[in-house]
Amino acid sequence: MVQELRTETKIPYCPGCGHTVATNNMVKALGKLNIAPNDIILVSDIGCCGLVDPLLSCHTIHGLHGRAAALAMGVTLGLNNKTKKVIAVQGDGGATIGLQNLLEVARQNVNMTLIVQNNMVYGMTGGQISGLSQEEFKETILPELSSIPPFDICLLAHVAGASFVRRIIGRGDYSEALAEAFAHKGFSLVEIVGMCIPYGIDDIRELTKISAQELTLENDKSVFSVTPENKSSLFKSIKYIEKKYKSNLKGKMSVLIAGSAGEGVQLAADLLTQAGVASGLYATKKGEYPITVGTGFSVSEVILSDKEILFTGIDKPDVVIVVSEDGLRKISKNIGEDSLVIADHTLQMPIHNKLFTSEFRKAAGKKGAVLSAVSYWLKMSDVIPIDALRNAVSKHKHAKDLMTLTE
Amino acid sequence: MESKLEDRITLLDGSRIIIESAVAAGAEVFTGYPITPANLLYAYAGKRFPVFLPAPDEITALQWLCGFSSVGKVGVTATSFPGFALMLETLNMAYLMELPMVIILAQRLGPSTGSATAGAQGDLLLLRGCISGGYPIPVFCPADFKDCQELTHQAVKAAIQMRTPVILLTSKEMIMTNRSFDLNEFEEKEKVSLKYFENGKPYKPYLADEDTMVPPFLPLGNNQHQVRINSSTHDVNGFIQKATKEALDNTKRLKVKIEEGMKEFNFYSLNEIDEARILLVSYDISSDAVLEAAKVLKTRNVLVSTLILKTILPVPENILSILEYYEKVFIVEENLSGLLREILFGIQSQSNIYGINKIGEMISPEDIIAEVSSN
Repeated sequence: MVQELRTETKIPYCPGCGHTVATNNMVKALGKLNIAPNDIILVSDIGCCGLVDPLLSCHTIHGLHGRAAALAMGVTLGLNNKTKKVIAVQGDGGATIGLQNLLEVARQNVNMTLIVQNNMVYGMTGGQISGLSQEEFKETILPELSSIPPFDICLLAHVAGASFVRRIIGRGDYSEALAEAFAHKGFSLVEIVGMCIPYGIDDIRELTKISAQELTLENDKSVFSVTPENKSSLFKSIKYIEKKYKSNLKGKMSVLIAGSAGEGVQLAADLLTQAGVASGLYATKKGEYPITVGTGFSVSEVILSDKEILFTGIDKPDVVIVVSEDGLRKISKNIGEDSLVIADHTLQMPIHNKLFTSEFRKAAGKKGAVLSAVSYWLKMSDVIPIDALRNAVSKHKHAKDLMTLTE
Repeated sequence: MESKLEDRITLLDGSRIIIESAVAAGAEVFTGYPITPANLLYAYAGKRFPVFLPAPDEITALQWLCGFSSVGKVGVTATSFPGFALMLETLNMAYLMELPMVIILAQRLGPSTGSATAGAQGDLLLLRGCISGGYPIPVFCPADFKDCQELTHQAVKAAIQMRTPVILLTSKEMIMTNRSFDLNEFEEKEKVSLKYFENGKPYKPYLADEDTMVPPFLPLGNNQHQVRINSSTHDVNGFIQKATKEALDNTKRLKVKIEEGMKEFNFYSLNEIDEARILLVSYDISSDAVLEAAKVLKTRNVLVSTLILKTILPVPENILSILEYYEKVFIVEENLSGLLREILFGIQSQSNIYGINKIGEMISPEDIIAEVSSN
């Protein structure tokens, strides 16, 4: 078993490197668990520890710096197979780059292992300190960098919800401690504190002295997995609109409806659009409101046409329906000379020769004013019959309350 | 108007069509982080995809998708520029690993966070250069609701067939505006599935088929053959190699793979008017204004042909010969400097090539008519 998983490829690491010790222990631990190479998926990060792929005869995927935890999580969830063991390997640099990825897999407690080989330095780029370097450790090029206590990656993962975390100081045979982490059901994180001979700590006694203490922490937590679910077509739930009314509209008519957030502007526009389609017209509708959707203006643009509508923009609308100050502020510049304007009588409207006002807010309440004004317009025009609007209203869940607004 | 029994007329938006089409084509997973104007895509995806995973950020979203793809589950994500920018490194990873997936990029007004709720067509040059080294990535771009179905299907198919990430480029107005539409206009589509390596020989993960230049796929974790996937420069076995001929040949192959493979996916709509010497070119949402402007110009006896690009990148070769045929070419796009224009004609100005550009609001038919009339 041991020979099978370990290929004949020569170890690429410097003599005495902690990664060699870690690789040997990994192979031994997986041998103890008797997992076949084709049941192991090794996900490797960037850095010296990411050179592990060719040393093992299992499936391997070598990704980006810092992203091994996220990539491995996708692999694990995609496989959704308890007989497969997904192991991600990254260094201390990868762990800080992808800290969010690491915390997320811990939070969700996905069934995989992440090994963080912490040698306290970035070995591939010249030995810079990392967010996991102990305060006592000084790098050679920039020893003047101030010492800041490191992240404790084990504690972070534990608090995030990992069901198993373990810190191992990487000396000798620790395959049993690793095997226990590999065998754990759920997310296990193992931090292996190890040596880097050229740049890091090159003495095991010193490493033992300055490293955070070995520990094992557990959370009792359910394992997250996803089972694909067949869901019905998004077209299945769509309601078709029966063309049972007649419109006299020739050409294109644009309607701008403006009011305040939460006062039913988008609903009134939807109902008008449906009424237009039920009257045999082509229709488009779009809404605009501030990012904070519960306050300020709410504006909707509706276009009705007896021919297919291509361009859906409106410059100067044929009809403007405006029922609140918020709405008026937003659209006043859009009112054209030829626009027909329907406005609540409380609004300070500019002088306009096609202005019609009524007490929409007073009579229908602030939430009913828009639909009431749309109904008012339909009754005074012959674009589409008011019955088409009422028919659209009758299909709404609040049909009873809304219908009175169309009277 | 009489109602025909067979009518299936309804009001819908492009987001619904795109998500429905992606799943119908065989995409199984959606991962994503919500971002305006791609929120409807996210919401529909949650209702439709067999697997839907909300991610804590866009990097994670795309890494997860790569994980799924590497075990044979093709996925989709949707984002806008700020999220796409975060995805860039992982997109390059997926490209070199040769993992199929579709990334829907819903354009909005930039630079930076810009205006989340304002549409734009500002990301084309970014896509042209998004793979380090200038390697081509397929970019499909729907111009109407029928395209939303067809091109999404083709995007999934292209991703699977060429083992590559594919971009489905769209913008706010295309995916958020409701339009009346007869569902009968949609065609039934066959599911596309990832074909697995079946040869009895030893499996070399990046040994490409000589005709298609695509390496046959096997999922990580399969019981028969060891699979090695790599996002560093690698040989046919999937091992890291710095700059050996074998590894560089493998990297060079990616360019040919896409250029050759995309010949099957050349979509555009050309409306050639006899005797017209003017061509209006556009893509995405500005196509509506172009088609409407052409109709109006015709009533004024100004004859224009129209070309709507739907496979934008890599630029299909025959598009260039269409462009050459016209005395005047107007390229209509909602950005300041003419991104498609630069891709097609470079940065040197040419007296017969005109840009019709605008930011912050849609280009209107009137804008186009005015430009065509004054040139």
